[in-house]
Amino acid sequence: MQVRNSFKLALLKQMLLGFQLSAVSSNSMSVPERKNAIKLSADAAMVFARGSTRWTRGLVAGLSENSNNEDLLRGILGKKYERLSLPCRSSWKIPRSRKILKRCLGLCSRRKKATATQHDVKSGSTLARRLVKKRIQVLKKLLPGGESMAGFSLLDQTLDYAVSLKAQVDIMRRLLKISKASNLNK
Amino acid sequence: MGSGGRFGVGTGNSGAYMTAIAEPIQFEEEIRSLIQARFDAPPVSGGSFTALLGLSANQAVGLLHEPGAGEVSTSAAGLGHPLGCSPIFPSNAALADRAPSFPFFTAADSPASISGGGPSPPLKAEPPDSDSSPSLPVPIEKPRRPAKRKDREKQKAKGPSKKIKTAEEHTEGDQLPYVHVRARRGQATDSHSLSERARREKINARMKLLQELVPGCSKITGTALVLDEIINHVQSLQRQVEFLSMRLAAVNPRIDFGGLDGFLMAECGPLAASNGRGGVSLDPASWSSAPAPGTGLRKDLRPSQQSSTAWVYPYALIDHATSLFGYGAADSVPLNWNQSKTDL
Repeated sequence: MQVRNSFKLALLKQMLLGFQLSAVSSNSMSVPERKNAIKLSADAAMVFARGSTRWTRGLVAGLSENSNNEDLLRGILGKKYERLSLPCRSSWKIPRSRKILKRCLGLCSRRKKATATQHDVKSGSTLARRLVKKRIQVLKKLLPGGESMAGFSLLDQTLDYAVSLKAQVDIMRRLLKISKASNLNK
Repeated sequence: MGSGGRFGVGTGNSGAYMTAIAEPIQFEEEIRSLIQARFDAPPVSGGSFTALLGLSANQAVGLLHEPGAGEVSTSAAGLGHPLGCSPIFPSNAALADRAPSFPFFTAADSPASISGGGPSPPLKAEPPDSDSSPSLPVPIEKPRRPAKRKDREKQKAKGPSKKIKTAEEHTEGDQLPYVHVRARRGQATDSHSLSERARREKINARMKLLQELVPGCSKITGTALVLDEIINHVQSLQRQVEFLSMRLAAVNPRIDFGGLDGFLMAECGPLAASNGRGGVSLDPASWSSAPAPGTGLRKDLRPSQQSSTAWVYPYALIDHATSLFGYGAADSVPLNWNQSKTDL
């Protein structure tokens, strides 16, 4: 695996911090509430450990949409929260210009298709291209903040995100294992 | 993942219970730390570096996997083998200059010229190299590029376009920090298509990495199917997170996670002698003195609501600590880092 020990450690630490802050250990919460708190802590911890990347910022943006989460997010992320909330590197401008470009290209291609002769069988390459395009759209929805990425950065961020997710899952599994084990001991 | 008997006896070492594990896994850790550079390096190396090279797929991949490899043959001779140590840094500038010229030699068949010192020196050179190399060639390169590169390319394009070039031709005292871009036979050499090709190489390299990440994906050919697998993998990971968080929620009230936190912090406090539990300081005095008791919602990590449960829990934690990765205190005791082993 490509993940560092320090990454996982930071993840674990922040996750536990999140658990503490949201007081999951108390009996006052219902199970769904607790589950949400745990998930939020885990995601925030992952963001903290990874630092500033496009999917990280997208994830923070997504999480902070819910006003309940803000306190916990600030608690876990600390100073990083402000940094991650900033729209960096003209990230707002790029999707806009891309949309304009795509619209123009779409119009041009549509015009070309209208004038071109219709083929019954799509050529192999265009079919492949369509399939790939569909997959890319799905991927964009999956990846936090994926809408504003294209091409290379999408793949790059997917790789990053997948690796971090794997680490997160690993940590949570180990936590579960330990808690089960300590339960047995008692 | 091993039994409790693995605890070391190192006295005065708070990471003691990891020392026993340290030795055999030291290599693994080294290798892992080298590979981990990839985790950070891709944004760096995948950026301007490959963009400047019009490489074939193999070459680009070889580049990405061993970006520092190219310099091994000629320049490495001067440097000697232990490239991983700090003395390499002063010479890195020279390396970085040459490196762009050589990278793809290591990739495919790499005959005579650059045999390379095997994967490890290149890999070791990778972290320092990927830092300096993108920065150095890029700024200096641009003014020269249009002039020199095109000449060379025209020669290349006509010549016997084999991708493997002997290094000698390039090392003719060529200390110039620009990139020799090699065009293959029959391929266009104008800058547009070159950058296009470079972009495609980058994307293909990333796809390859993703294929490696997702299990069972390397056999699959075809972008669409690979993307399918990647999507499935990411979705399954996300679902697993949901599921695990639900399970943790179900089990949670009985666990005082605050205790675990305090335990982690206490570990960095007193570097104590080993006790019967395997070298971690857990005697009541240090436990209660180091972190002061507090309420659960405090941000500084103190064990909250101290009762016997907090005592049981850390012991249970240690017993099962081998299942948890060997963590050292993150901030305060750097020594432990070299020894902390993981079941990564």
